[in-house]
Amino acid sequence: METPLIVAKNLRKRYRMGEVTVHALRGVDLTLYDGELVVILGPSGSGKSTLLNIIGGMDKPSEGELYFGEKSLHTADEKELTAYRRHEVGFIFQFYNLMPNLTASENVYLAAEIARDPLDVDELLERVGLANRKEHFPSQLSGGEQQRVAIARALAKNPRMLLCDEPTGALDLATGIQILRVLRDFCAGFKKAVVIITHNAAIAQMADRVVTLRDGRIDGVQVNPQPVAPEQVVW
Amino acid sequence: MLWRKLIRDIWNNKGSYFACLVIVCIGLVAFTTFSIVTDNLSRALETFYREQNFAHGFVELVSMPESNVQRLARIEGIKDINGRLVKDVRVNTPPEEESVYLRLVSLDLSAPRVVNDARLLAGKELIPGSLAVWLDNEFFTANNLELGDSLEIIAGGRVREITIAGVAMSPEFTYYLPAEADLFPKPEQYGIAFLPLADMALVFPELEGRVNQVVFTLAEDARYEEVRDRLLPELEPYGLIRIYPRDDQLSHLMLTEEINGLKGIAKAFPFMFLSIAAVILYIMLKRLIEQQRGQIGILKALGYTNREIVLHYMSYPLAAGILGGLAGGLAGIGAAVPFTELLLLFFKVPEVPGVFPFSYFFQGLLIAVTIFLIAGYSGSRLALALNPAEAMRPPAPVLGKKFFLENLPFFHALLTMQGKMAVRNITRNPGRSAFLFLGIMLSCALVAVTWSFQDMVDKLAFYQYEEVEAYDARITLARPAASEPVVREVAGHRQVRWAEPLAEIPVSLTNRWREEDIVLIGLPRGSQLYKVLDEKGRKVPLPAEGIILSQRLAEKLAVTPGASIELASPYLRGEEKGVPVAVGGIIPQYLGMNAYMEISALSRLLGYEELATAVLVNVAGEEAIGILRDDYLESDLVAGVDSREERIRQAREMLEYFGIAVYFYVLIGVVIGFAIIYSSSFIVLSERSWELASLRVLGLTPQEVFSVITFEQWFISFFAILAGLPLGKAILHGLAAQLDTDMYSVPTTLTPDCLFAGVVITAFSIWAAQRFALRKVKELSLVEVLKTRE
Repeated sequence: METPLIVAKNLRKRYRMGEVTVHALRGVDLTLYDGELVVILGPSGSGKSTLLNIIGGMDKPSEGELYFGEKSLHTADEKELTAYRRHEVGFIFQFYNLMPNLTASENVYLAAEIARDPLDVDELLERVGLANRKEHFPSQLSGGEQQRVAIARALAKNPRMLLCDEPTGALDLATGIQILRVLRDFCAGFKKAVVIITHNAAIAQMADRVVTLRDGRIDGVQVNPQPVAPEQVVW
Repeated sequence: MLWRKLIRDIWNNKGSYFACLVIVCIGLVAFTTFSIVTDNLSRALETFYREQNFAHGFVELVSMPESNVQRLARIEGIKDINGRLVKDVRVNTPPEEESVYLRLVSLDLSAPRVVNDARLLAGKELIPGSLAVWLDNEFFTANNLELGDSLEIIAGGRVREITIAGVAMSPEFTYYLPAEADLFPKPEQYGIAFLPLADMALVFPELEGRVNQVVFTLAEDARYEEVRDRLLPELEPYGLIRIYPRDDQLSHLMLTEEINGLKGIAKAFPFMFLSIAAVILYIMLKRLIEQQRGQIGILKALGYTNREIVLHYMSYPLAAGILGGLAGGLAGIGAAVPFTELLLLFFKVPEVPGVFPFSYFFQGLLIAVTIFLIAGYSGSRLALALNPAEAMRPPAPVLGKKFFLENLPFFHALLTMQGKMAVRNITRNPGRSAFLFLGIMLSCALVAVTWSFQDMVDKLAFYQYEEVEAYDARITLARPAASEPVVREVAGHRQVRWAEPLAEIPVSLTNRWREEDIVLIGLPRGSQLYKVLDEKGRKVPLPAEGIILSQRLAEKLAVTPGASIELASPYLRGEEKGVPVAVGGIIPQYLGMNAYMEISALSRLLGYEELATAVLVNVAGEEAIGILRDDYLESDLVAGVDSREERIRQAREMLEYFGIAVYFYVLIGVVIGFAIIYSSSFIVLSERSWELASLRVLGLTPQEVFSVITFEQWFISFFAILAGLPLGKAILHGLAAQLDTDMYSVPTTLTPDCLFAGVVITAFSIWAAQRFALRKVKELSLVEVLKTRE
């Protein structure tokens, strides 16, 4: 827990939305460590997605500094950011973002093919419980199954951290819990960082740390000495 | 309010929309330009023919008393008739220069209406007895002559001086060639001089009171064939060489063929381009409606009627049709004038004042708008089918499906995941893939065919001049002579290494009712300097008795080797009108339409010992031809000395002009390929931006993401290009069938060069279009795209 994976200092992000300027982040300081599960909590419009996008190398801050280990991401160019996303980050979205014309296992291979040190695709599918559905196309899978494919795909690259944007937002309770279980196991089993953003406060119970965001600023950080198991999360 | 939406939507799709407009423009420019040019040329020609009283029939004779012409005038069906003397003479030039010839054409100034009258462009009227002539303006200009200049001509061994009284043009000579085997006019070396019939007698005293050609116009309702049959018995006693209708007259033939070609282009071009543009529009519109199904639902919910919504979407193609139509039409009108002028350089027809051709402008506009509205309606019908609630729901998810070829294990193993996505996308939208396939196929075929045009013209000219005719110089005799002493004399010249006789005899070949007038070429057996070659370029031995026909001649006469045909000729001695001769073989011939015989067999057939009309020679060095010319200048048996080098050089000069045209067509092929790939990339990018952004998030580079699109395009293009090559060959066959005339046959082989050019140039335009589209992938905003759920 001692080596910082991500260090963010005074991150600010402004968007031009036509005539008005939107301040999505107004100075965020945050440090993430290997092997911890962090939940970023906040209502919609609080800047959670913007923060996640910047940490994930999909967007750049308007001001402030951001480091991945020794590497500074706020000065990185598009090519370096692509390499960063390719090798260090796994993304999971609310709507899965699977390739509709690749089967479940092919979607996972898609990620494994570009990774330096990929995990075994079949083993991953086994672990997310999709060994017998792997030849199905996304349109033939349920939402929970699709999200599990998305998780397997994010894991296949063997990234340093997983960034999850409302991963259970489109799922029912039981399915949501399954997904959280997989994420928790990955975090513990591989000693990787997992960041989950959500507006669902209940999920915070399973986190090592809970960061609350409001109006583009950090409202509070709460360390959870005894995170509960996903099965015990109630919402 | 919907108009504002229209303009913004167009702006968002400006890439495809622009590609569409460019293609429409090209099509309509071609349509208006070629239509106007054809119109102008046709009208100019018609006026010119009427004003100069252009003949309907042409007769060539050995010689006939001029007084006979009056009797012929009484024949039923003849309106105006003139007799005239036509003789080729050499112009006295320094021996080191190329031979220059003039064709003297007499004008019967005493006739009430001169047939084939020359039109005076500058200078004075002709005064009989003064040996003043009108020169055709091409020759006049090409040789930098001035009015009042005089020229020395050598006629029948005598040198005469003629003065230039004026510059003129005649419908008979809007296009003329020095010899039948020539492909291009060469005005600096061969021209027409018009002079009064009385003056011809001064140049050729032995021909006083005689004519060797008759030209006539037909009365209304008279048919050429009937008049010809009435004329034949009157003409035959005077050594009839040839009688032919206007349709077979070279100048007329060339002009009408050119005009027909332009008419064909005026039809085919816009059709091709508008179809492509229409398909792009259709795809774009369909895509737009799929994208805007939510908006359509809202409009419907607000109470807009189906009609209003369809009309709204129809306004996209309407705007494209009107915009493209206006731009293309105006550019076409602009291009018509310089293009007409360019063509008039080749066809010496007096210019007619251009009319304002707004009818074509509106026609073009109408065609473009109609085709686009059809495409637009088919594309926007989709919007009708949706009910508001359904429209506002997102479309059904894309069904994943494997590509049929993936069942092949080796193919499956070949593909990366990106490759798999790409090939599956082919079947995801089969209509669009088919369009891409057809477009690339067409683009490739077009490039290969136009490339082969150059090759074709090259073959036309150089096959004849480099393969068939291998002599350094040709000494043309003023009249047929016994070959043996002439060849011996020439061969003995210190500059000559090798000499061979050549006989060129005008003959009529008949197979039952099929008859062809051609030049029969007599060559010595095993000729070194003029080769008879088969399609593989191997020498064909001349048979001891029979005749060898060119492919096209054999087709026209419908004969195969072994058949017997009848040969008639003004040179034929004896009572018989014709003699039978066996067909000994058939060879390809691209330039001209000739038959070949062993020279002594030919002479015997005609009733002579040995007959030659020219001597072909190989000489010691470059300066030898000048020396030969100098030495034979005074000989009344020699009409001229021509070097083959000079002919090749001129052919090359002409080919450069063709070269420019070829590049223009190749450019069009490239534009089609480019526009298709560019617009299809754009459509795919907008349709699958969500998928592509997801790939970018996964860590794929823009190039890797784009390769999903390019792989699909290359995969389709690979087969499309393969299919384009046979299509090109088919087009070439079609063109060859249209272009084949008595003067030249078009070879129909697409050489590896052309295939290569087709493949490489098409591939290049695909690649270039993809480079442009790649920039769009780089600009893809990941955050923006992923915010929305597809």
